[in-house]
Amino acid sequence: MAEIKWEKDVQAALALAQKAHKPVYLDFWFEG
Amino acid sequence: MQEVFIPVKSECFWDKRTEAMKEFNISWTPTLLVLDATGREHHRVVGFVPSDDFLAHLKLGQGKAHLDRFRFADALKEFTAVIEEHPMAGVIPEAVFFLGVAEYWNTHDPKGLRRAYDTLVARFPQSEWARRAGPYAQIPL
Repeated sequence: MAEIKWEKDVQAALALAQKAHKPVYLDFWFEG
Repeated sequence: MQEVFIPVKSECFWDKRTEAMKEFNISWTPTLLVLDATGREHHRVVGFVPSDDFLAHLKLGQGKAHLDRFRFADALKEFTAVIEEHPMAGVIPEAVFFLGVAEYWNTHDPKGLRRAYDTLVARFPQSEWARRAGPYAQIPL
């Protein structure tokens, strides 16, 4: 499986999503 | 996953909540959201889920996004994929329920709702989704 290229910035991801007509998978995580 | 979704990881800081945490009302991690391209939320999962459940949630979320936008044929494909490709996933009862809803909207034939009820009662009788489908028991097949 190809390594996932994660976006870090939500607003940048949404701009990409609009351009690509794709949904967004948003993962909120905590380095505990 | 990248073929279908734009994947985003947003780190949380409890001592100083980020703008994204505030915007999406994040109160626990991990929290997984499926958003459409306009940023509207269609599905949320709070807490860890194993990989097969995770993939099922993504497809369920995609199906709900289609359903919310009245793209019923696309929604049907996603809910069917959840049920067929992730038969052990915890979201199956929810996918069965929404498959019935999508079938109804796609055809305006209420039999899809009744089939969803029958499946839920037969396979997942303890599920809340079986109870939610209860009113569809009256629909004749």
